[in-house]
Amino acid sequence: MFYWSLIIILLGMYSAYIFGKSRITSHSRQLEIKTASLPTYYAQYIMVWCLLPALIVYFGWIIFEDQIIQNLVLANFDFDLNPALNAGLLIAEIKNAALNDSFAEGKAIEILNAAEHYASIKYISSISFYLSILIVMILGVMFASRKLQPSFRAQQSIENYVKYFLFFCSSVAVLTTVGIVFSLLFESLRFFSDVSVVEFLFGTKWYPYIPIREGQSGSLGSFGAVPIFAGTFLIMVVAMCVATPIGLFTAIYLAEYASPRVRKIIKPLLEILAGVPTIVYGFFAFVTVAPFVKTFGQSIGIDASPTSALAAGLVMGIMIIPFISSLSDDVINSVPQSLREGSLGIGANKAETIKRVILPAALPGIVGAFLLGVSRAIGETMIVVVAAGTAPNLTANPFENVTTVTVQIVIALIGDQEFDDPRTLSAFALGLVLFVITLILNIFALRIVKKYRERYE
Amino acid sequence: MSNIKVSTKNVNVHYGTKQALHQVTLDINEKEVTALIGPSGCGKSTFLRCINRMNDLIDICKVDGSITVDNEEIISDEVDVVSLRSKIGMVFQKPNPFPKSIFDNVAYGPTIHGIVDTKSDLQEIVHSSLKRAGLLKEVKDRLHEPGTSLSGGQQQRLCIARAIAVNPDIILMDEPCSALDPIATATIEELIDELKNKYTIVIVTHSMQQAARVSQRTGFFHLGELVETGETQKIFTNPDNEKTQGYITGRFG
Repeated sequence: MFYWSLIIILLGMYSAYIFGKSRITSHSRQLEIKTASLPTYYAQYIMVWCLLPALIVYFGWIIFEDQIIQNLVLANFDFDLNPALNAGLLIAEIKNAALNDSFAEGKAIEILNAAEHYASIKYISSISFYLSILIVMILGVMFASRKLQPSFRAQQSIENYVKYFLFFCSSVAVLTTVGIVFSLLFESLRFFSDVSVVEFLFGTKWYPYIPIREGQSGSLGSFGAVPIFAGTFLIMVVAMCVATPIGLFTAIYLAEYASPRVRKIIKPLLEILAGVPTIVYGFFAFVTVAPFVKTFGQSIGIDASPTSALAAGLVMGIMIIPFISSLSDDVINSVPQSLREGSLGIGANKAETIKRVILPAALPGIVGAFLLGVSRAIGETMIVVVAAGTAPNLTANPFENVTTVTVQIVIALIGDQEFDDPRTLSAFALGLVLFVITLILNIFALRIVKKYRERYE
Repeated sequence: MSNIKVSTKNVNVHYGTKQALHQVTLDINEKEVTALIGPSGCGKSTFLRCINRMNDLIDICKVDGSITVDNEEIISDEVDVVSLRSKIGMVFQKPNPFPKSIFDNVAYGPTIHGIVDTKSDLQEIVHSSLKRAGLLKEVKDRLHEPGTSLSGGQQQRLCIARAIAVNPDIILMDEPCSALDPIATATIEELIDELKNKYTIVIVTHSMQQAARVSQRTGFFHLGELVETGETQKIFTNPDNEKTQGYITGRFG
């Protein structure tokens, strides 16, 4: 039903446009006055006034229709006959019966009656839906066409509408962020009603499934998130130690030294690296790198476990290289050629020019690339699941098993316990803390970049 | 007659298949200002950039012929471009101070060339270079502010200070005033006049008045050829070539 309404709205807009254009043209010809704006702007103005009410009705209908129909159906339903049913289940039954005959078989007669009632209301609703869309479109056009005078500055109005539209678009992202924060916050609050904040933030033992304290058998384990965050941090550090130098040097080579031919080959190859699914990196880490790390650890006398933070971090670093190199390459390329010439003209060689002039000028962008890499490293899941293990060890030894926040979130959410179990809800608390950490990281980085810019621009 | 500092013989420059300079032969005298004039695209900037091998930066650019600086051939793979460029300063059309402080901009050259050993020597060089560029008075209280915070004319003088800080013999100027207002231009012209006592200066300019005001010798380029060269006074009052006559009187170009 809603596809048809889209077609109606589009057709309506088209006719409104045509109407507006011909109306203003004939109007100005009759009055022999030149219009204040081009005729298309009047037509667009009419079109906007045709579209807006239609959209309001459309979305209003989508949002409220179901609720209203349900209430109407339930109001007519005699609950005394089936006191055991709750309203949500009942309405699901009625809907199923109404939409699908095979579900209707063998249902109680009152449900079938209600289903019929539901279907008829639904039918009326869809008819009135089309009608009201049509009516509001016509009303909108009629309202707006009062302004179709040559003296009316249609262009300025359109300009304003465009401004509102752009504002609306930008607020979508902001509102979504707010929504994400709140959903995280509320679920986390539920979690923190079972587990104390202090234990969560400062506890060093993460054993949600094993009750470790006396008198706790059969109930909760321990939720100390420190080992998880430590693991995340450890892997991130390993990954960035690999990705930052290699990525940055790659970018410098590509931007300053490579001939166009070499550049044409290497850049796409790097971008392929960025497109490899992370689970494939996970295989690589587990099958190739982890055994290598283990052998290497043994050869220098460290007892390495078969999966380790080092293996996961190394491969994650490889994964992040293209992000850093590609972004830094763009930034370095956008440093004006005049700065290069200025430096070379004084007799600086290429390395000095890069080190003392180009990299400082490109630094804000490079910091940005680095932070993008960090957030990728913190948010990465698959490589860690496969290659770093899931054991929440609190350790700084990269040859040991560790686990990360994202991995624990996955484990918490795919478990078979109930949703309001603290073991499940712990996912949201972890997510919230992760969110706050990345937020602080971003704010911090933005301040660095800003300070730097103020100094040099 | 003064000594010849730079001498070019039969210099040809190709950008890919397009020839930008044809058989340019020109001598540049020591401690004089030589102006290169001519319509846009005539090759005067290209010629200027041959003298410090700046054209090396352009992949498709090929230079042949002979250019000597102090009687040493520079169009050769054996030449150390870095030390050549430290002997030849360059000032560009658009002021291009580095994203560093005023002090660091001037200190850049001396630092990378290891000219100075101590901090006080470096300070000395920076101050004297700024002074010679006529900028010291205006900036001496804010040496640690970014070079980009200066006005356009000040930025250009900063670039000149930066160039003379490494104590070059020659300064190449590629339309140094084309992005500046008349007052800043006048300041720079005065500066050029002073600098010529110590340096050999080659200046590319679009303004014939400027060439007449600051230079002792002038070369007129047209379509990649050096049409005429001689004393500035002669070029502007009594040129030998018809094209030169046409250009300086504003009939074409």
